[in-house]
Amino acid sequence: MTLNPSYAWVRQFAALGVLLVLWEGAGYAGMLNPLYMPTPSQIGRALTELFETGSIWTHLEATFGAALGGLVLGIVVGVILGVLAALIPLIAELLEPVMTLLNAIPRVILAPLFVIWLGIGLASKVALSFILVAVLIFFTVFTGIRQVDRKLVERIITLGGDRWALVRHVYLPAVTAWVLGSLKVAIGFAFTGACVGEFVAASRGLGYLLSFAQSTYNSALIMALVFLIMVVVLLIFAISGRLEKWLLRWN
Amino acid sequence: MLEGASLEVGEGQFVSLVGPSGSGKSSLLRAVIGLQKPLAGLVETEVAPSELGILFQDDALLPWRTARDNVALGLGFHGMERQAALKEADAWLARLGLAGFEHRFPRHLSGGQRKRVALAQVLALRPKLLLMDEPFASLDAIVRARIIQDVVALVERERIRVLLVTHDLEEALGLSDVVYLLSQGPRARITQSYPVPIPRPRDVVQARLHPAFAPLYEQLWSDLSREVSREAAEAA
Repeated sequence: MTLNPSYAWVRQFAALGVLLVLWEGAGYAGMLNPLYMPTPSQIGRALTELFETGSIWTHLEATFGAALGGLVLGIVVGVILGVLAALIPLIAELLEPVMTLLNAIPRVILAPLFVIWLGIGLASKVALSFILVAVLIFFTVFTGIRQVDRKLVERIITLGGDRWALVRHVYLPAVTAWVLGSLKVAIGFAFTGACVGEFVAASRGLGYLLSFAQSTYNSALIMALVFLIMVVVLLIFAISGRLEKWLLRWN
Repeated sequence: MLEGASLEVGEGQFVSLVGPSGSGKSSLLRAVIGLQKPLAGLVETEVAPSELGILFQDDALLPWRTARDNVALGLGFHGMERQAALKEADAWLARLGLAGFEHRFPRHLSGGQRKRVALAQVLALRPKLLLMDEPFASLDAIVRARIIQDVVALVERERIRVLLVTHDLEEALGLSDVVYLLSQGPRARITQSYPVPIPRPRDVVQARLHPAFAPLYEQLWSDLSREVSREAAEAA
């Protein structure tokens, strides 16, 4: 059987539909314990309740703020440190071991420390998002700049360009391309940091709601929240995809 | 490695340097332009490095800049205002037959077109001496012949001094006023110079039919072969 790739989405949606119907049917037939495995309609109800009462907005705002704050800070600091380390050997010597160490550990284990240092407010979540993103971007930029085509560098030099011209016309555009290449991973990391931070200690946010749902054994709410986070991240992917397309129009 | 080389390129003169690989032809150009230091001694040129232009085999255009932005780049480094630089860039692109392609990114140009942009990029700076290191080697035959003819016409009209490094003897003879032969490395030297008495303006294809071409070609070929076999004998 040959599959027409342009109809892949039809098949995917059909499969999803079948799965949801079977799931709902099994729940309706009493084959699933609603305590562990709520049906799609129960999850949907939990989701609409969040929006009907309006209680979700403050949590969404908290998580968004933490994730975007950590993302932007992480990219800015990661790029600056990566460029400096790639261009100045002394900085590379000092920074690389630290970054390698930070890269080797699951950085979310720093969450309790950030809570002690920065409290249960927004700052500790931003910090966790930031550390997750910054290390990733640092390595992207650091290894990326070392792979810059020597010929482009020589070209700028022979045309009369100075060090600043190299940074501006060769390194920064190259860095932009690599950062955009790992932007999706970075966005994922940023939300991971925000949610885990809220999970550990918070008074609002999607992570806080999740931990609340867990302590009250509310599986429907947990799944509704997981679904909501997926939608949010997909939305941000779409926006970053647009940005990427525009910035990399030369490619 | 090359030892004790001394070359003269006169006003409006086109000079080629041919020699076996490993004789240090490319290193010489890199040393002259300042990309590489000589192992010992120093490089002296009458022309300041900022007044030199160099063209390599790879066009090395910035992929994220359009053709005109790539050409305007060097003009900007030399202090020209952006608007003036863009105007000048368009003029040079037109001179190299690329009118209408100003806003293309390198990725959307053919190999020959990219080579023309690279040429415009270098020539726009009006170098006192243009260095070329096998600049046409990566092009296919027809594109190559057409670019070479355009370059010759431009060089003759603008009276640009050129030093070309190549291992293509036909190319060297067809383009040059003088061809220098390098001996086999290590410790390569410039062994001989061969003036090319074919009149200008030249048609590069017709130049091959000039009565002086064939004897010169044979002479160069046998001298070059001797260099290469001398190395083989020394290695044995």
